[in-house]
Amino acid sequence: MNYSRCLSSRSSDLLVLIAACVILVPIGWIVLAAFKSNVDVFQLKLFFSPTLANFATILDPPYVIHHKLLNSAIVALVVVVVSIPIATLAAYSLSRFKLYGASFMLTAILATQFIPAVTIVLPFFLMFRSIGMLDTLLALILIHTSIVMPYAIWMIKGFIDGIPIETEEAALVDGATRLQVIRNIVLPMAAPGVITASIFSFILSWNEFMFALVLTRRDAITLPVGLALFNAETGVQWHLLAATSLIIMIPMIVLALLIQRHFVQGMTMGAVR
Amino acid sequence: MASIRLENIEKRWGSFTAVQRQSLDVADNEFLVLLGPSGCGKTTTMRMVAGLEQPTAGDIWIGDRRVTHDLPKDRDIAMVFQNYGLYPHMSVADNIGYPLKVRGISRGRREAEIRKAAAKVELTHLLDRRPRELSGGQRQRVALARAIIRTPRAFLMDEPLSNLDAKLRVTMRAELKHLQNELGITTIYVTHDQIEAMTLAHRVAVMNEGVVQQIAPPDQIYDRPANVFVAGFIGSPPMNLIHVKAENDLLVAENARVKMAAAMPAQDLILGVRPEDVSLCAQNEGSMRGSVFASELTGDSVLVTVQVGSQRVLAKQDRSFRIDAGAPVGLRLNENRLHLFDAETKERLP
Amino acid sequence: MPERYLKYILVLPAILIVVLTTGGPLIYSALLTVRQWRLTQSPRPGAFVGFDNFSRAFESPEFLRALGNTVLFIVLTVTLTVVLALTIALLLQRGGPLRRTVQALLILPFAMSPALVGISWRFLLNPEFGLFSVTLGKIIPSLAHVNWLATPELAFASMVAADVWAWTPFMSLILIGGLAALPQETIEAAQIDGASRWRVIKDIVIPQLVPVLSIVVILKTIFAVKAFDLIFMLTQGGPARTTETLSYFSYTTGFSYYDMGYASAAMWVMVLPMLLLTLFYTRYVLKS
Repeated sequence: MNYSRCLSSRSSDLLVLIAACVILVPIGWIVLAAFKSNVDVFQLKLFFSPTLANFATILDPPYVIHHKLLNSAIVALVVVVVSIPIATLAAYSLSRFKLYGASFMLTAILATQFIPAVTIVLPFFLMFRSIGMLDTLLALILIHTSIVMPYAIWMIKGFIDGIPIETEEAALVDGATRLQVIRNIVLPMAAPGVITASIFSFILSWNEFMFALVLTRRDAITLPVGLALFNAETGVQWHLLAATSLIIMIPMIVLALLIQRHFVQGMTMGAVR
Repeated sequence: MASIRLENIEKRWGSFTAVQRQSLDVADNEFLVLLGPSGCGKTTTMRMVAGLEQPTAGDIWIGDRRVTHDLPKDRDIAMVFQNYGLYPHMSVADNIGYPLKVRGISRGRREAEIRKAAAKVELTHLLDRRPRELSGGQRQRVALARAIIRTPRAFLMDEPLSNLDAKLRVTMRAELKHLQNELGITTIYVTHDQIEAMTLAHRVAVMNEGVVQQIAPPDQIYDRPANVFVAGFIGSPPMNLIHVKAENDLLVAENARVKMAAAMPAQDLILGVRPEDVSLCAQNEGSMRGSVFASELTGDSVLVTVQVGSQRVLAKQDRSFRIDAGAPVGLRLNENRLHLFDAETKERLP
Repeated sequence: MPERYLKYILVLPAILIVVLTTGGPLIYSALLTVRQWRLTQSPRPGAFVGFDNFSRAFESPEFLRALGNTVLFIVLTVTLTVVLALTIALLLQRGGPLRRTVQALLILPFAMSPALVGISWRFLLNPEFGLFSVTLGKIIPSLAHVNWLATPELAFASMVAADVWAWTPFMSLILIGGLAALPQETIEAAQIDGASRWRVIKDIVIPQLVPVLSIVVILKTIFAVKAFDLIFMLTQGGPARTTETLSYFSYTTGFSYYDMGYASAAMWVMVLPMLLLTLFYTRYVLKS
C-alpha cells in the first residue's frame, strides 16, 4: 500500500533523499579524503587535485598496509573455507532430521554470539599466550571460525528449510546415499544461500576488531587493527587513515551489495515469514 | 443505496490490458455477479470500483458522485475479501466495529451497533474471540458483519466463499442471498464458480480476457449464451460443443446428421447442446451415433460420454441407467434446445 | 551408516567448535570472577576472594559510571534506531526506482564494520576540518569548530549518533522484510473501512509488526551491550573514561591495568541480563 500518502509525494521523496544522503555522505567523504594530500584534508575542499600518494605511503613502513591486507585476506578466506562446509553439514542435519535437543542446540549456538566478546577474550588471550600462539594468524582463524559459525548455520539452515524436500526424497528412493544427496541435490539448490552465508562470513572476519586487537602484536595484525596505528606524534594522519579505510571498505561494499537481497531473510528466518 | 456506473473504463499495466475499455452499469439494489476464469479481469474491475486500483482510463460513478479518484475510505462502500482481511490483533467485536471507530462513533453507540450486526450473522457468542480462534465460516461471518455494520452505498465481495469447504459454501450462499435481500444494498460479487453466480445473481456478467462477454439474468445466460465461451463456461457438466458443417437443412459431422427447421447457407458452425438435452437411444434411431467411451455415476444421474466420430459428446441419463464401455449407441437431441454458433467468430447465430 | 548416527555426526564438528571456543572460555572467565589476579604480579590466577571483585566494582565510580552509560546507551540507541528504522521502512514502501536504489544502499553501513565507523566519525567530527563542523558552521556560525568529542555529554551524544547511523539501515532492512510479509488484505480492508493512511499505520500495520519490532529491539539491545569497536575508535572511552560502557571498562581493566579477576567480574555483571535477552529473542524467533 501507499503508506506515505500521509505526506505528499514530494515530501516523501525529500525524506528518502535525506536518508540516502545521511547514509552516503560520511562514506563518500572518507573516499574523497583518501585521495587528498595531507594539506587538502585539513582544508575540507570539495574540489582538489586527487593524488594517489597516500596509497603509496601506506605501503611503506611503518604502515606496510599490504601486509595487513594479506593477513586479513588470508584469515577471512581460510575461515570461510573451513567454516562453511562444517556449517552446511550441520545446517542440513538440523533442517532435515529430527535431532534430540535440536531447538536447544540452535538457540545455544546463536546465543554464543550475544555474549560480549570481552567476556571471552580474556581467557583466549591467556591461553594463547601460554602456548605461544599470540600474534599468529592461526589464532585468529580459530576465533573467527567460532564467531562465524552460528551465523552461517542459521543462514544456511533457513535456506535449506525453504527448499522442498521432494527432490531429495526422490533421489533417496532412486538409491542415493544421504551424503550423495547432499552433494548432488542439495548443494546446487542451496547455492545462493551458501554463497550468501560465505560472503557474510567473509565480511564478519574481515571487519572483526576486538579479538584481532587483543591477540595480535606485530606480525598478524589485520586491517581494522591497522587503522588504530595511525596516531603519530604530530597527530592523526587522517589522509593515510582515509586511504586505509578505503582499502578496508571497498571490497566489503562490493560484497555486501552482491548479497543485499538475500541477506535479511537469512538473519531473521521464520520470524518474518 | 446507489447505482454503480463504470464508464469507458480501462486498466492497463504497461502493454498488458487487464480490463478492456468498456462500460458497465449496476442498478440500485442489484446483485451483480462478475463471473469468469482467473485472469479474466473481474477482480481488477471490482478493485477499481473499490478504489484499490486506479483505472488508466474512464470514470466510475457511485450514485451521483464521480469517485474515480476518490480514496477507498471516501467512497462509502464495504468489501468482503477472499481471505476475509480480518485484523488479527483485534477481537471479533473490535473487528466488526472498526468502520465505526474510524468515523469517531462513540463507544456506547458502537457497541450497540456491533451487537446488532453480530446478531444478523449469528456471532454474538464469539465477540470476545480473536480471528485465529475461529473457523473459516465464522471468520467469513465476521467479515460480513463488518461490512454490514454501516449500511454502505455498495457491497463488494471478492470470492468470499472460495476458501470454505463445499458444504459450508452451500449454507453461506443461502445466507448471503438472504442478507442481500433483507438489506437491499447494491452488490458486486466476484467469483469463478458458476453455481454461485447462478444462484445469487440478479444479473451475471461473464468476463473473459478483460471483456464482458455477456451480461444478463442467470436464466438467460443459461438458456441463450451469447457465444461459445459463455456456453461452455456455464452449466455443469458443461455444454457439448460440436463442430459441424451446415449443408442445406442438415448439420453434418462424422457420424452425425442433425436435421434443422430450415435450410442454411453453407458454413462451419459449432452446435451447442447441453448434456441434459441429449439422450441415448438405439444406434440407428438418433441424429448421431457412436460408441460409449465412459460412463460415470454421479449419484443423482449418470453421465455417459459417447465417441462420435472424432468428437466426444456427453449425455446425462437417469441415475438408474447402466451401459458398458464400447457399446454402440445413438444420440437423440432435444431440437428445442439447440444453440448454434459461428465457428469463426464464436458468436451466437441470430 | 545408519541415519540415526549420521545426523549427529553431521552436526558434531560445528557443535564442538562452538562449545569449545565459547563454553570453555565462558566458564573459565566465570571462575576468574572470584579470584584476585593481577597479570603484572603473577602469571597465574591468584587467591580466591569470593565476591570481593563484585563489591569492589559496585563501589567504584568508574564502574558505576560505565554501568550507567551502558544503560543510557542502550535506551537511547535502541529507541532512536527503532523509530528511525521504522520510518525509513515505511517511506520506502512506495516503491519506484529512487526507493529501490536507496534500499540497496541500506546494507552499506553494515559492510563498514563498527571500528571503521568509529574512526570515520572521529574524522567527520573533527572541529577543524571535519565535515560536520564545517557544514554546520556554515549554517549556524556559532556551531563551527565545536569539538564534538571534548566534553562527556557531547562525546556520549556523538557515540550514540554514530551507533545509530551504523545500525539503523540494517534494522530498516529487517523491518522492510516484516512489512512485506504483512497480509495486504488487512490493509486494504482498513482503507475501505474508512481509516486514513495514518490510522492504518497506527491501528493495523504497527500492531501486526510487533513480532518483528520485538526482534529489532532485542537485537539492537544485544548489539548495544556488545558495543566495543566503535567506542574504541571514536572516543576511546574518553574524555577521561567518561564515555566508557561496561564492555570498554572491562577491556581497559583487563588489558591496560591487567587486573584480570576484576575485569571478568565487571563483565559478568552484564552476562545475566544478556542471557535473559537471548532467551526472549530465541523464543520469538523459534516460536514461528
